[in-house]
Amino acid sequence: MKRAFDNPQPTNYKGRKKQKLANARTIAVQSPITANAVAGPSRLGPIVSDNMKRLPGAIDVEKFAEARSFEINAMKNAMEAASSSSTTRAWQVLPRHLRRRAASHNPRRVPLRLRDKARAEMDPLKRKALGRSMPKLGKQKRLPKEVVFMGRQRDKRWLETHIWHAKRMKMENMWGYRLAVTPTEKAFRPSHRASIRGSILHDASYLSLIEMKGPEAALKTILESCCDVQDISPGAKRYTSGARVCKTHVYAPDRYPFELICPVTIMWKPKPSSPLSDDTSKFRKADGKDKQKVASPEASDNTRTLWICFHPSPFNEVFSALRKSTSQVLEAAGREGIILDVEMADIRGDIGIFEIMGPKSNQILRGALSPVMAEASTDFKQFWASLGNIQSAGSVPGGMVIGFLVNDPRLRFPPKNAKVQLPTGSNISPPVGVFPSAGLAACNVWEQNIRNKLKRPRYQTKDINQRRSKNLIPGTPLNPLRQDDRIPVMLIQTSLRTSTSNDTEAIEGWTFIFPAGWSMAFFQQLTYTGTRVAGQRERKTQAFEAGAAYFPSDYPSTSAYQTYALTRAEGEKGKWTRTPPAKRVNYKKLGTHSPWIPDWKVVLGLKEMANEPITDEENEDADMQDLVTTQREPEQSPEQSSQNSAANDEPASRPWLLRGLEVSSIISDLSDALVPGQSLYSIINRLRTKRSLEPLESIGKPDDLLKTALVLVRITICSKGSPSDLSLVYSIPDLELQEWRKGLTKAGSNPGPAGVEFVDLPDIVPSPNSIIGYITTGGFSLSRGEGFAIGAVPLTRLIELQQQGQRLSHYVKSDKALLVKVRDRKGHQCRLARIQVLQN
Amino acid sequence: MVRFKNRWLLVEFLPIPSTPQSGAVAQTIQLNLDGRQIHSVLKQSILSNYGDIGWGAVALSLSVKYFSPTTNICIIRVGREQHKIVWGALTLLDGLEYMRLIPHVVHVSGTIKHVQLAAIAHNRTVIARYRAMANAPVAYQDSYDAYLESSNRDIESLED
Repeated sequence: MKRAFDNPQPTNYKGRKKQKLANARTIAVQSPITANAVAGPSRLGPIVSDNMKRLPGAIDVEKFAEARSFEINAMKNAMEAASSSSTTRAWQVLPRHLRRRAASHNPRRVPLRLRDKARAEMDPLKRKALGRSMPKLGKQKRLPKEVVFMGRQRDKRWLETHIWHAKRMKMENMWGYRLAVTPTEKAFRPSHRASIRGSILHDASYLSLIEMKGPEAALKTILESCCDVQDISPGAKRYTSGARVCKTHVYAPDRYPFELICPVTIMWKPKPSSPLSDDTSKFRKADGKDKQKVASPEASDNTRTLWICFHPSPFNEVFSALRKSTSQVLEAAGREGIILDVEMADIRGDIGIFEIMGPKSNQILRGALSPVMAEASTDFKQFWASLGNIQSAGSVPGGMVIGFLVNDPRLRFPPKNAKVQLPTGSNISPPVGVFPSAGLAACNVWEQNIRNKLKRPRYQTKDINQRRSKNLIPGTPLNPLRQDDRIPVMLIQTSLRTSTSNDTEAIEGWTFIFPAGWSMAFFQQLTYTGTRVAGQRERKTQAFEAGAAYFPSDYPSTSAYQTYALTRAEGEKGKWTRTPPAKRVNYKKLGTHSPWIPDWKVVLGLKEMANEPITDEENEDADMQDLVTTQREPEQSPEQSSQNSAANDEPASRPWLLRGLEVSSIISDLSDALVPGQSLYSIINRLRTKRSLEPLESIGKPDDLLKTALVLVRITICSKGSPSDLSLVYSIPDLELQEWRKGLTKAGSNPGPAGVEFVDLPDIVPSPNSIIGYITTGGFSLSRGEGFAIGAVPLTRLIELQQQGQRLSHYVKSDKALLVKVRDRKGHQCRLARIQVLQN
Repeated sequence: MVRFKNRWLLVEFLPIPSTPQSGAVAQTIQLNLDGRQIHSVLKQSILSNYGDIGWGAVALSLSVKYFSPTTNICIIRVGREQHKIVWGALTLLDGLEYMRLIPHVVHVSGTIKHVQLAAIAHNRTVIARYRAMANAPVAYQDSYDAYLESSNRDIESLED
């Protein structure tokens, strides 16, 4: 070998280290003299010139295999030695999620087994400089931790798991809370993989919760006047029993289909057939107080309780909508002489909510939670037995609620995931066999007094650790004692999906609800076995990959969306203005008139596009600002000015979102109708009368209703390209569309005949009038492997696209997909895309 | 930062016997090659084909890292800008004085790790080919394994 051999026995440390490194980098060679075996020639073909080939016997093969296997081993060992010699520090052997920043100079940041090694590696001079040799004084004089932390929460609230998240995630102030946006380590793809193959957890305790109490009929009427008419009424039997949760959308009362507020989840408190007082007698606690369920005296009445859970951004709107609806109902009852008592309470912060998505979530929950089996119903026992074996949360009926009692999770820490046990000889997991019922869903987490009692745990973690240390055999899990807390929890099946019947892209999981004060205990229990943790970005990506609209960024006409879009636009515009002109995108040149916020009014045709879109105020000359134009302002004709003012003032010309279960059928009806405006008007009135709302008053021309409607769409790029947020969607004129279609069917594109100017289809500049929509969320979809986006287009344009599709389908019989062009706001090239209505 | 980028060549030297062989396919020719010999032969080839300029460009970074006489596999390191010179000189290498050689470049990559992996893969394909020719089953266990197990057990029982 070329390397000169070192001193055979270097004595000093440096010499030995050098020798060790040199050894790690050499590959062992089998010397031919000592070896018994010889490797045969690797190529049997051209070397042998003879026709008579004798096949190698088995012994020869073995000899060759032995010689070559020595080399294989030598290579493997060399690779391992080289990689292990380069990681010199103790913390470098740890996986990325266990490494801490201060590990290089603070050995306490490293796990116990590596601490001595880390301490030995530390430079002794540095150790002295850090001053760890002397203990810190003045620990008694410091402010207590709680006071310090409360001081930081004056203008925002922390979740209970805040500190854990703050150490590992980027945090931001959102909706009055300090929330995690994304993990600090690279986690985009692993989080996506976890949501479709593993499990991923999200602390959603910031979701707003409103509790309503009152007679069942009154609550039903209140809800029906606010909620989406196309869905099943939230007062339907399947929901009022409490066995399932209702996922619907809330509008301003009586204003359907305008003034959409947000999607909500409505849970009714289960009213079981048997009285629950039997359960409470078994509920013994150390203080000996007898807990009576508050519901038992009321069980005889018709008073029901329900929870409405929704995004915190439009909290005030939802609250005022419900309040208005309640007062309407009370008034109507009052006129008939009935006195009703309906209470509404804001119970934010009383319960904790975790969202655990992914197929492995079943095994995680099964392994982490230890329910109190003595008090469980047979239904629950059957369910719990099958929970570990079902393939994903989707095997369970949608929206199913399961309520049960668990022991203190810290007793059985650390948890182990449940193993899947399929019946022998089959690959398919057996069905669950338990149907949603009020008995299964019964849970004490609804009771305010029980939640209050559990706010402070009976045993602190250090007490439990002491108990654990008293175990004879270390490592045995603790048995729950009589005085230990027993926590009522609820599991609700959730899924991110569109409403189409066969949805292969859905992401299924569980919502886990528990009383406040136990977030950290359950969080550690659930995350210990390797569940990833999601921030806001991961949650949004989950909805995007599932093809579902995400509130608030994908709901164009709501006020929460408006707030979100304006904040985002401010941030982006500020960044753009601060960038020097040579280094930023020239939107004026590209013709993007509204690069930071989608201009729905222009898309709908309600407003003319401004001619001078982007002005950079700082670049204007200082002189110019003092001057006043001598030209008179261009005279606006009277009807134009009135139109403009009318467009701004009249609520009728505000964009509204046409959505619901029946959207596709509505749109196909409209595209066949002769007068689509009138047809839409009658459809909406039909829907309104279904819920006994009055029909809409005619707002001028019925065409206004049609013209201001937006529809959510899914856009899939046909070949290459990935649409980003706020990209523009254009319609394609007929001739051009035929050229695009030819490009789709042909494998490669032939260049035009020589001598003819051939403009590539992506480079054709679309006319500004052909803009038909914006993309609200877009990107490369990892589960589809192509560019995918969710956006909105006006209803009129969608109908036109369908008519165009019908016209041109004579020529191309292949697909009935509607085709549009998508242009990134920062680019000039357009990409062909398929467009489809999003069923929400 | 300026990084020195290398290319690692995995080369196999296929010997060509001077006299055409008859009969046995599996006759192996023992080459008494050495790493240094390979280096000097390569140097001669570069000097004769690319001249002094070629050698001057390559000399600093050229080194033979590994050579195994049993399998005739060699790992050569060159700088990234000059690896084509060395590759070309390798291809034009006729052989040693007494024997003709065909250098066969199996793999080129930027790190030694991938070259080692490629060497492992190459050896495995060769063994698999031999086994296929000898009609041995796929999960063929060489007879040495059973012998090893039994001898291991004997030794361990001795220790007690």
